[in-house]
Amino acid sequence: MEAIGFNAHSGFLEGIIRGYKAGLLTTQHYNSMTQCETLEDLKLQLSGTDYGNFLADEAPPIATSAFAERATDKLVDEFNYLRSNATGSLAKFLDYMTYGYMIDNVILLVTGTLHERDTHELLERCHPLGTFDTMPALCVATNVEELYNSVLVETPLAPYFRGCLSAQDLDELNIEIIRNTLYKAYLEDFNDFCQSLGSPTSDVMSLILSFEADRRTLNITVNSIGTGLSKEQRAKLFPKLGRLYPEGNNILARADDIDQVKSVVENIPEYRDFFSGPNHDLSEDDNGNSAAEGLEEHFFRHEVYLNKLAFMQQFQYGVFASYVRLKEQEVRNLTWIAECIAQNARDRLGDIVHIF
Amino acid sequence: MASKDRVFIATIGDEDTITGVLLAGTGHINDKGKKNFLIVDSKTTSSTIESAFEEYTSREDIAILLINQHIAEQIRPLVDGHTAAFPAVLEIPSKTHAFDPSKDSVLKRVRKIFGD
Amino acid sequence: MSGARENVFPTRQNLQLVKGRLKGAQTGHSLLKKKVDALKKRFRTITSKIDEAKRKMGRIMQLAAFSLAEVNYSAGDISYQVQEAVSQATFRVGTKQENVSGVVLPSFEVKRDKSDGNGDFNLTGLGRGGQQVQKCREIYAKAVETLVELASLQTAFVILDEVIAMTSRRVNALEHILIPKLENTVSYINSELDEMDREEFYRLKKVQGKKQRDAEEEEEKRKKQDAHESEQSEDMLQTKDPDIVF
Repeated sequence: MEAIGFNAHSGFLEGIIRGYKAGLLTTQHYNSMTQCETLEDLKLQLSGTDYGNFLADEAPPIATSAFAERATDKLVDEFNYLRSNATGSLAKFLDYMTYGYMIDNVILLVTGTLHERDTHELLERCHPLGTFDTMPALCVATNVEELYNSVLVETPLAPYFRGCLSAQDLDELNIEIIRNTLYKAYLEDFNDFCQSLGSPTSDVMSLILSFEADRRTLNITVNSIGTGLSKEQRAKLFPKLGRLYPEGNNILARADDIDQVKSVVENIPEYRDFFSGPNHDLSEDDNGNSAAEGLEEHFFRHEVYLNKLAFMQQFQYGVFASYVRLKEQEVRNLTWIAECIAQNARDRLGDIVHIF
Repeated sequence: MASKDRVFIATIGDEDTITGVLLAGTGHINDKGKKNFLIVDSKTTSSTIESAFEEYTSREDIAILLINQHIAEQIRPLVDGHTAAFPAVLEIPSKTHAFDPSKDSVLKRVRKIFGD
Repeated sequence: MSGARENVFPTRQNLQLVKGRLKGAQTGHSLLKKKVDALKKRFRTITSKIDEAKRKMGRIMQLAAFSLAEVNYSAGDISYQVQEAVSQATFRVGTKQENVSGVVLPSFEVKRDKSDGNGDFNLTGLGRGGQQVQKCREIYAKAVETLVELASLQTAFVILDEVIAMTSRRVNALEHILIPKLENTVSYINSELDEMDREEFYRLKKVQGKKQRDAEEEEEKRKKQDAHESEQSEDMLQTKDPDIVF
C-alpha cells in the first residue's frame, strides 16, 4: 500500500480515529474513578470525560450492566461512523473486523435453534458490532439444517462455515468447538487479507493477529487439559498462524499439563512471563493451576501493549483495529470498576488494565 | 414423605444468580423438557413467578428451592404461606440486592417463636 | 374443669381401671415434658445456627457474584450459553436421617458428580476466559453447598417447630384436660362409692331396726295373747251364761 495515496482515501478517517484515541480514558481518569464511593459518583466522574452524560437516561439505581451497554453503544456509534465513511479496502478491512462478533452472534442463534427457542428474542442479546441486515432472516430457520443454509446464503461468514463445518456438525459438535473452529478460520482469513494489503498494514496487523492466534492457542490448550476434548480435536482448533506456529502448536496439541505449556512459551521472549508474576486470585492456594489464572490478565496487558504500538505508525489500517480493541478493554475496565464499587470489593479495583 | 426422591435444587432468580448456580451444576431438564430454573427480569410478571413457585414447590423431585429475596418480595404471601418442610424454600441475596434478614420468611418465624 | 369427668359407672372395677389410666397419663406427661425440653434445646441451637448461616450466606453469595463478574470481564457474557447448555444436573442432593428424641430430622447432603470430564460447561470459555469460568464454577459450587447446609438447618427448623408444637399440645392436653378429668373421675367414683356405702349402712341399720321393732311387736303381741288366753279360761266360771231355754 502506498503511503503517498493513503491520505487521499483514508486520511480523513485516520484523523478521526486518532481523535477518538485521544478520548480514551487515561490513568489519571482511572485513578479518580477508583475514588468513587457509589455508582452515582462514578457516573459523575465519567461525565467529565469523553463519555459525557452517556448515562443521563438511566433511571437510578444504575445497574452495572448499564455502564457496559452504554459504553458499548458509544463504541458502536463511533465504529458505524467510520464504517459508513470508509471506502475501498478500508471498508473491507472494517467489515472484517465485525466478522469476529458476527461469529459469536451466529453461534448464539445456533444455540437457540438447537434448543428450539424463539430466536427473535436472541437478537437483542447479540453484540451490536456483529449485527448484519439479514440477521433477522436467520431467525426464521426452525431447524439446524435450515439455519445452516441461511448462514451460507445470508452472511459473510459463509466461507468459514462451508470450509470447516457441515449442517450435521452443527447438530453434533459442542457449541464451543464450533465457535473456535469458525474463529480459527476467521483469524486465518483476516490475516491473509491483511497480508494482501501489503506493508505497513500487514506488519502492524500481523503482530496483533499473531498474538491473538497465540492467545487462543494457549487458552484452548490450558482450558482443554483434563476435559473431554481429544487432542486431535484440540489441534484442529489452533489457528495456523502466530509465533507459536507451527512447532509450538504441535507440542501444545499434545500437552497434558501446564508445565509443558510453560516450556513452549519459554521459547518466545515476549510471552515468557505470562505464566509467572502476580495473580490476585481468591483461591490461589487450593487450586493447583493458580499459575494459569493470572494468564488472562497477562494476555489483556500484552494485547493493550501491542495495540498501543499500532498507533506509532502512520498510513496503515491497524489503528482502526487497535482502537476498537482498546476501546473494548476500556469498556471492560469500566464494567469492572462499576462491579467493584457496586459489590464493595474495592481492593480489586486495581486489577484493570490501564491503557494510557 | 418420600424425601429420598428429592434430589434437585430449583432456582428462581435474576440472570446472574441463575448463571452462577447453573455453573455449579444444579441445572436439570427432565424428560418432559421441564427446567428447574426460572430467570426473572424486569419483564417477568408476578403471575409467571407465582406459577413457577407453585410448580417447583409441588414437584416431587425438588429438594431445595432457591429464590432471590427481591423476587420473593414480589410474591411474599405465597412464600410466607409455604410452611411445609419439603421442598425447603431458601431466600438468597442477589448481586444487586443484599440480604435483609427482617424480610426472610424463616427468620420471621424464628423471631415470632422467640417473641422478639 | 371440676365438672368434667369420664362417663362411667361408679364401680370398684371402673375405679381400678381409671386409676390405672391416670397413672399412665402422669407417666406419659412427664416423659413428653422431657421430650419437649430436649427438642427445644435442639431447636434453639438450630435457630441460632440458621441466623448465623443466613448472615454468612450473604457474604458467600457476594463473593460468588464477584467471581461471575470476573468471568464477564474475561469471557464476556456467557449466561445464555450456560442456560442452553444445561442438560443433567451434576450437583444434586441426597437426604439422610438423623434421630433426635424420636423425631426423624432429614438433612441434605451434597452429591456432586465430578467424575467425568464432560460436564455441560467444561468447554465454556474455551477460547478465552476458561480459567475464570472454571474458578467461578468452583466458587458457586461451594456457595451452593453452603446453601444446601442452610436448607438442611431450615428443614430441621420447620420439622422441629411442627413436632414441638404437636408435643407441647399433647403435654398441655394431658396436663390440663386428661389428668384433671381422670382425677375427677376417680374422686367421683370414690365419693359415689362412699355414698353407696353410707346408704347401704343406713339401709342395713334401717332393716335391722325394723326387724327389731317387728320382733318386739311380735313379742308383745304374743304376750298379750297369752295373757288374754289365761284370763279367758278363768272367767269361764264367773261369767253368766245366758239362760238356755228349750
